[in-house]
Amino acid sequence: MSDRFRLCPTTGLKVHAQADALIKANAVVATVALLIGGVTAVLVMLTRWQAIHLLPADWFYRLLTVHGMNMLIFFILFFEMAVLYFASAVLLNSRVAAPKMAWSAFVLMVAGTGLVEWTMFTGRADVLFTSYVPLRAHPAFYLGVILFAVGALVVVSIFFATLVVAKREKTYQGSVPLVTFGAATAAIIAVITLGHGAAIYIPTFLWSLNLMHVDAQVYRLVWWGLGHSSQQINVAAMVSVWYLLGGLTVGAVVLNEKISRSAFVLYVLFISMASAHHLLVDPGMGAAWKVWNTSYAMYLAVLASMVHGFTVPAGMELGQRLRGYTKGLFEWLRKAPWGDPGFSALVFSVIIFGFVGGITGVTFGTEQINIIAHNTLRIPGHFHATVVGGTALAFMGVTYYVIPLIFRKRIAFWPLARIQPYLFAGGMLVFSVAMTFAGTFGVPRRHWDISFQQAPFEVQYAPAVDLVIGVMAVGGLVAALGGGIYILVTVWSVFFGQPMEKGARA
Amino acid sequence: MSFHGVPQGVTSPPAPASAGEDESHKTPGTLVLVFVFLAAFVVYYFVNWKLLSFLWRIG
Repeated sequence: MSDRFRLCPTTGLKVHAQADALIKANAVVATVALLIGGVTAVLVMLTRWQAIHLLPADWFYRLLTVHGMNMLIFFILFFEMAVLYFASAVLLNSRVAAPKMAWSAFVLMVAGTGLVEWTMFTGRADVLFTSYVPLRAHPAFYLGVILFAVGALVVVSIFFATLVVAKREKTYQGSVPLVTFGAATAAIIAVITLGHGAAIYIPTFLWSLNLMHVDAQVYRLVWWGLGHSSQQINVAAMVSVWYLLGGLTVGAVVLNEKISRSAFVLYVLFISMASAHHLLVDPGMGAAWKVWNTSYAMYLAVLASMVHGFTVPAGMELGQRLRGYTKGLFEWLRKAPWGDPGFSALVFSVIIFGFVGGITGVTFGTEQINIIAHNTLRIPGHFHATVVGGTALAFMGVTYYVIPLIFRKRIAFWPLARIQPYLFAGGMLVFSVAMTFAGTFGVPRRHWDISFQQAPFEVQYAPAVDLVIGVMAVGGLVAALGGGIYILVTVWSVFFGQPMEKGARA
Repeated sequence: MSFHGVPQGVTSPPAPASAGEDESHKTPGTLVLVFVFLAAFVVYYFVNWKLLSFLWRIG
C-alpha cells in the first residue's frame, strides 16, 4: 500500500495512499475534539451568562479546562498534522517518508489525548488550559500532554523528511509552492513550541510525582513558550490555508513570492516573542525585558501578519481583475463566489482575524494598556477572534475542499454548508466584540460567578455589563449553531456521503 | 455553475488569468480596505490610551 498513488482528477496531483489515509485519520480526530470542545463551550458560556449560570463551580472549571485543551490543542493540532501531510506529500506529488512511523506518531497523539481527556473528565485535572504550578493535576495529565507532544514532534520530523524525499526524487520543479513554504514555517515554529513543551511538562510531570520542585515564575515563563507559540503555529498554518483557498476559490495570484515568503521568515524569527505578552504584569520580569520582547522586535512579526493581510486580499482582487472583474473598486468582491463556503470562510477569517483579533492583540500587547486589560474578558475576546474566528474558520473553509478532493465525497446538506460560515463568523464576531466590551467594564476572565455572592465585600458592575454579556451569549449560541452544522455536514459527508464519482465532473 | 454538494472551485475551477485584461497589476479596492483597517487601528489604540488616562490619573 505504501507506494500506491492515485491521480486527483481535479488538481492533477498524485496523491500517495498513505498521505490520503493519514490526512483522513487526523481530520476525523480533529473533528471529534472540535465536538467535545464545542459542547463544553456552550456549557461554559451558559454559566458565564449570569442570568442562567448553569454549572456548579467545580464543573465550570473542569469543563473550561476540557474546552481549552480540546479547542486550543487537540482540534487545532490534529488538523495541522493533516495540513502538514497535505502540504508536503500531496502538493509535492511525493510519498510520505516513514509511513509506519507516521502511524505510530498518530497512535501516540491519540493515546496522549485519551489520557488527558480521562484525567480532565474525571476531575483529576481541574487546572485549566495553563495548568499553572502550584495547581496540581494527576500525573497522567502531564504524561498525556508529553505523549501528544512527542507524537506531534515526530509528525513534524516526517514533514521535513518528506520535503527531502520529494527533492531527492524530483517530484516537483523549482521552489516549493508558497503553501508548502508556509506549512514549513508552521513546522519550524512547532519545533520551537514543542521544545518548550518538553522543557516544562517533563519537570512538571516529575513535580506531580513529588520528585522535584518547579518554580511558579519559571513555569509561567517557559510554559508560555508552548502556550502562545502553539497559537503561532496556527497563524502560519492559517495564512497558508488563506493562500490555498484564495487560489482554489477565485484563482488568486501571489502578488510577489519574495515578499510573502519573507513575511513567513519574519514569523520564524520574531513571533515566538509574543509569548512575553502573558507576563506583562508579572513582577518577576524587568521593564526592559518586557518592552523589548513585546514591542520593538515583536512588531516585525506583526508586520508579517500585515503583509499577509494585504497580499491575500490583493491577490484575490488581482486574480478577479485579470478575469475581467475590473469595474469600480469592488466589482471583484461583489461578483466573487459568495455561495462557496470555502470563499466566504476565507473572507470572514481574514476580516475577523485582522480587524478584531489583530487590532486588539497589538493594543493589549502594549505594556501600559495591558495593565487595564489583563485577566479581564478582553483577553478571551481577543483570542476567540484570532483562533476561532480566524484559524478555525479558515480550517472549516478548507474542509469543504478536503472532503471532495481527499475523501472523494460530496458535501452533504449543501444548503446548510453554504450558510455555515455566515452563521459561525457572524456569531463569533458578535461574541468576541461583546466579550471585549464586557472586559472593558472590568469583568474578569476564568470566573465562575461575577456577582461574588459569598464574598465578604460587594462588587458592583455597570448595569451595561448584564446587557453586554447577554449579547455575548446570543452571539456564542449562533456560533455554536454554525459549529454544530459544520460537524453534522463533515461527519455525514465523510461517513454517509455520496461518492464524487457519481455525477460530479472532475 | 456548481454541482450540488461540491464547491465551485472543484466543479468549475477559476479560468486561467488573462494578463491582457488588466496589465497594471493595481489593487485599488484592497488599498481602500487597508486604509479602513488603519483607521480602525488608530481609533482603537487611541481609545485605549484615553481609557488608561481616565483610570490612572496623574496628579
